Amino acid sequence: MAEVKSANKILLVEDEFNIAKLFSYNLTKAGYQCEVASNGREGYEKALTYHPDLIISDVMMPEVDGYEFRKKLLENEELRKIPFVFLTAKGEEEDILQGYDLEIEDYILKTSSPKVVLAKVSAILKTLEKERSKVVDEVSKAADSMGVKVVPEEFPKFEGFEIKHWHQPHKNVPGGDFIDYIKIDDDNMVVVLGDTMGKRWGAWYFAVAYAGYVRSATRFVLEASSDYKPSTILQKVNESVFKDERISEVFITLSIVILDKKNKIARYSGAGDLPLFLKSGNNVSPYLSNGLLLGFSQSGEYEDHELQLKSGDELFLVTDGITEARNSSGEMFKEEGFIDFLMNVSPNTDTLEELKLTMQSFTSGEFDDDVSVISIKVL
Amino acid sequence: MEIIEEVIDDIVVEIVNFERATLREAEELKYKTESKVNSGYNKFIIDLSNVEFIDSTFLGVIVGTLKKAVKSGGDLKLIGFQPNVRSMFELTRLFRVFETYTDLQEAIRSFHK
Repeated sequence: MAEVKSANKILLVEDEFNIAKLFSYNLTKAGYQCEVASNGREGYEKALTYHPDLIISDVMMPEVDGYEFRKKLLENEELRKIPFVFLTAKGEEEDILQGYDLEIEDYILKTSSPKVVLAKVSAILKTLEKERSKVVDEVSKAADSMGVKVVPEEFPKFEGFEIKHWHQPHKNVPGGDFIDYIKIDDDNMVVVLGDTMGKRWGAWYFAVAYAGYVRSATRFVLEASSDYKPSTILQKVNESVFKDERISEVFITLSIVILDKKNKIARYSGAGDLPLFLKSGNNVSPYLSNGLLLGFSQSGEYEDHELQLKSGDELFLVTDGITEARNSSGEMFKEEGFIDFLMNVSPNTDTLEELKLTMQSFTSGEFDDDVSVISIKVL
Repeated sequence: MEIIEEVIDDIVVEIVNFERATLREAEELKYKTESKVNSGYNKFIIDLSNVEFIDSTFLGVIVGTLKKAVKSGGDLKLIGFQPNVRSMFELTRLFRVFETYTDLQEAIRSFHK
């Protein structure tokens, strides 16, 4: 979704038509989007669907008054987080204190001039944005210091192959995509790309958990046999997450490729993921796996594709941040767009760098989701 | 633009009236279906006729609701696919787990079989 820039949707709840008109006129003129509701009941319904960044509400209104409206919002886990301001003619100390008891940001008197109101609104939204950035920054730092990474900082070294990735979290907040490289012995390397359904910190948390699951499942599979099959790793991860109540409502797509250096073979298996793309000369072939999303059913029915590779071949794993990227007219890049790009990219250029430029120009730098691509070139 | 909820017999019908159903719409659907699951409902129909695009977050909520419904002996059925939405379900191989119908009456009847 092309998310509306933070802090520009305001819900104004006011029963007096002229006042509502005056304030919504001034807010709109100042660049905010403004929806008006005429009492607390209507305000609550609008809040559910309009998802405002700020709610400004009158106190005395018919049906459901401002205090009741605020109390109802506080009962809803999502809606209580929306900053709330009372706008009222009631200026007695007790009224103001009663308002603050309801966890509001501020109290604006109707007698204030529109300029003062706009200045207050702007100050509240700016403070909240600053706080948000500060929290994101702090959690980012904490995650860094704990060494919790969902994407490796360096590309892995594996003789005979050049493996690189491009990962860009949505709005620079860590999200649900994760990448991992696990060298299982001198001849075999596991390449992992996952996408947790969800965005931002919630998804990031699960991405960390899943990346851990994949690592331990890989170890288990290695100990159990010398026949390295990505489908066995997927099946093992699926069994574990299916049983884990804590993540029973989290769903994930996962692609696993095991590179066999000696025989120049790639074995691929996937769960609900986008296809693996093989570019060989001017041909591009997608390989779609059959496996279900992880964690959904106990038998995920995973299967392997075995690809014989030759020098110059390139493999690509991508998440939907690429295929669902949109241009300014709202058109999606799609899988066809990615295949087109691969077919037309010159063999002498760095494909991943070229893809970054293409995506930047396609989206004008406005991505809707985490973007992750892994490229594996056979040397 | 909103999600309209109706209860027909013991079946909860959620009509998703968003062209693009992504993160925020997912939160709204989750809020609605969770309240219904908590009040004991386990039969759901989600009408996606007006939806042109769903992202993986929204799909995650549908899948999560299906899982909860099935766990308590119910089901979740889908109606009305536009091409992009259909391809999302095909891509994630979820067509295998959802029953899909062309209209509401047909979906309701399938619960009574």
